[in-house]
Amino acid sequence: MYSLLKKMINRKQQAPTPFIEKSSKEDITLKKQCITDKLNKTVDIFSHIYSVGKNNDVIFRKFHVQALKKDAALLFINTITDTDHIEEYILKSIQQYSGTSQKVEDIVTTPGIKKVQVIEDVIIEINKGNAALFIDGESVAYILSVSNFQGRGIEKAENEVVVKGPKEAFNEKANTNISLIRKKIKTESLVVESVTVSKRSKNEVYILYLKDIVNEELLSDVKERLCMSDVDSIQNLSMLEQRIEDSTKSLFPTILYTERPDRASSFLEDGYIVLLMDNSPASLVLPATFWSFFHTSEDHYLRFLYGNFTRALRLLAMFITLLISALYIAITNYHAEMLPPDLLLAISSTREIVAFPAVVEVFLMEFAFELIKEAGLRVPSPIGPTIGIVGALILGQAAVQANLVSPIVVIVVALGGLTSFAIGDLALNFAVRLSRFFLIISASLFGLYGLTAMFSIGLFYLVSLRSFGVPYLAPMTPKYTSGKDTLFRRLIFHEMFRPGYLKPQDMKKAGEVSDGKKQG
Amino acid sequence: MERSKGKIATREFIAIVILTIGAKMTDDTPAILYEKFSNAAWMAIIIIGIFSVIPIWLLINVFNTYKEKNLIEIVLYLLGKPFGYFVLFCLLVIGSVAITIDSSIYTDIVGTMYFTETPTIVLYAILMATCAFGAKRGLEQIGSFAWSILLWIKLSLFLALLLTFFQGKLDFIFPLFGRGVDEIMHGGISNLSICADFLFLTLIVPFAVNHAEFKKAIWISLCIVTVELAIALIAFVALFDYEPVKMLNYPFHEAIRYIRLEFLPNIEALFFPFWLLALFIRFSFYLYLIALLFGGLFKIKDFEYLIPSLATLFVLLGVIPENPTFSIFHFRDPFLKIVTPVFLLLPCLLWVMSKIKGDIKV
Repeated sequence: MYSLLKKMINRKQQAPTPFIEKSSKEDITLKKQCITDKLNKTVDIFSHIYSVGKNNDVIFRKFHVQALKKDAALLFINTITDTDHIEEYILKSIQQYSGTSQKVEDIVTTPGIKKVQVIEDVIIEINKGNAALFIDGESVAYILSVSNFQGRGIEKAENEVVVKGPKEAFNEKANTNISLIRKKIKTESLVVESVTVSKRSKNEVYILYLKDIVNEELLSDVKERLCMSDVDSIQNLSMLEQRIEDSTKSLFPTILYTERPDRASSFLEDGYIVLLMDNSPASLVLPATFWSFFHTSEDHYLRFLYGNFTRALRLLAMFITLLISALYIAITNYHAEMLPPDLLLAISSTREIVAFPAVVEVFLMEFAFELIKEAGLRVPSPIGPTIGIVGALILGQAAVQANLVSPIVVIVVALGGLTSFAIGDLALNFAVRLSRFFLIISASLFGLYGLTAMFSIGLFYLVSLRSFGVPYLAPMTPKYTSGKDTLFRRLIFHEMFRPGYLKPQDMKKAGEVSDGKKQG
Repeated sequence: MERSKGKIATREFIAIVILTIGAKMTDDTPAILYEKFSNAAWMAIIIIGIFSVIPIWLLINVFNTYKEKNLIEIVLYLLGKPFGYFVLFCLLVIGSVAITIDSSIYTDIVGTMYFTETPTIVLYAILMATCAFGAKRGLEQIGSFAWSILLWIKLSLFLALLLTFFQGKLDFIFPLFGRGVDEIMHGGISNLSICADFLFLTLIVPFAVNHAEFKKAIWISLCIVTVELAIALIAFVALFDYEPVKMLNYPFHEAIRYIRLEFLPNIEALFFPFWLLALFIRFSFYLYLIALLFGGLFKIKDFEYLIPSLATLFVLLGVIPENPTFSIFHFRDPFLKIVTPVFLLLPCLLWVMSKIKGDIKV
């Protein structure tokens, strides 16, 4: 028996076969070379690299430049370039040039132009949607900026909806997103650095920060983590987030993902760092604390009392989502004496005809609710309303009538599910929904004792989390000088400091205003 | 951006102390006090608080002289190698016995008052596993945890005491001096060890943000804890009267069973989770302290790794007494008496040695 087991294990170990890979050494050495002054040779090299002919959208346009009396060739990918621009600013202006200058910069009228010598660099620019102009007898390529990637326009924020406040959201073009942020922060100290994070797809990440506020150490830490990844492609910010976050297996998120430019800008102004990328209709804000997930931008747009009222509601909702099912199980199974006798009798009379123990009931309903949520998200919109009917009628009413679950469990689970929507941030929402199951299990095993023990473990875990060195519950604990914007926010006049845990270069963001003065 | 250094600030420190020492009112400490002082127990605790000032003041003075040193280093420096190690070893034994007795009592409370059918070892294991998890995270985390739940625990306690006062009779605290002033003074001093935890607290001096803060934190928490315990002791007498209260092993838990809140007749489950949270803080912190002392004594640098095995050891030791409700009660009283001289004499000894060495200038 033992030897049989051993054999099986050994067989598994023999399994891996070497990958059959083709060496790309030749291509790499080719790309490292410089451009020669022979136009024909250059054209051949680039035709080979881009498989011109086979590759449908790569255009190699050859023509004669009258002003220089030389042959020239223009290389671009027409699906990611603005062909009108090419016609207007390059081809037309070259043909119609009547001046005496021999310089290409004077002949071509595109706004951006630069010279590049290495083949690899030319390729990078062409892949970004620019056009490369080669001229016979010159061992450089002129890179003309004519890129034009297709994408959608600026639309309303869909996931972080606010009633009062700006409505526009980021879209998939990094340039548009940067422009949206620059619209809100009109200062020269806003720096947009770019880093290439992947090797094959050359995905670029834009690091945004205010250079006279951001902490240098934090900035270099972020850059270091961005450069660490050795990978062919990082498509978007969601993928990047998982590569740079502190603990990848953590239940709670440590980097904020927001689609609202106003939110990103207000974080920037506080000394945070914002990451943008093409193909991501959002930004990453780091470091992030628990509070950045708990807050929404509307908390500050609403007046002091209204904003704090929504905060209180959200806090309550979070605790209800987290605890209600677990509490129901703990109280009905272990601490029944706690309930008023009438309520206890009411519960037990509805439970009389149900076949399952309370734990199974709750799990059944929780599972059903999660299914409705997930299915409702994925369902094609024409059949969307069906989900509601199925969810409400079949899983709610019919399950009760069939004596599968008791009505009070439906109420408990529905309340828990409903309140979970009050937590706007997707990542925190997931964290709360998942931790709920741990609490339910512990409550079903040891009542309130198990529930509290699990809650303590969770809280211990929460306070030991770090996001780029910042404690997760800062500035509540440990304490830092800050705007004291944690569970509740203060009057807007009293939010005078930037968060101290970021160690910004400039702590104070507002002068002191006494209450009497501002009321005039 | 702040790289955390494992240091704790004043408010986290106060939170830890209030919760760990304040939790004493919920175990059998009141029972011990009532037995000796009848209805004047609350006065006794104030006397104890006042007399504790002396050893604590001496300790703080010594620590002020040797900044950047913790209890272990100071003891070794002042008392010399062999004797210093002996004293530290005694402290470790006292600490270990204390944590074993205490955890055993608390498990007994959970077992007898709330979970009568669950095996003790399971309750014990859950308690210690949770605390070991917390302690292993480090002091800073214990502090943050304590601070983030302090308000809620105190609110629930306040509600419990308020209801107790409303439903009790304040007349029961008379005669004011119980069995007489002499009894209170004498008994108070011999039970000084109720505040002996402060001696162990000095182990974490190097982790405090700065010395002035630490000093402030110690005094503030001593005041709060003394007042809180005194109020609780008055409340229990007011609810039960002095004869019945002597018979109760865990007056706090009896009290929260006794009181009612309008339409809710049994509200003990309302206070139970908050009490548990305080409990988890208390034993996480004690585990951390013991591990710290153990690590210091045996020169183990990464003492955090000791915590799980220490926790297991305490569980195994703690389940030995078969009927903790009675056996521990009778064991604890002499233990408090033995610890009292240590708590009184060690600070004096340290202070005098330091004076002899000429480091303290008055």
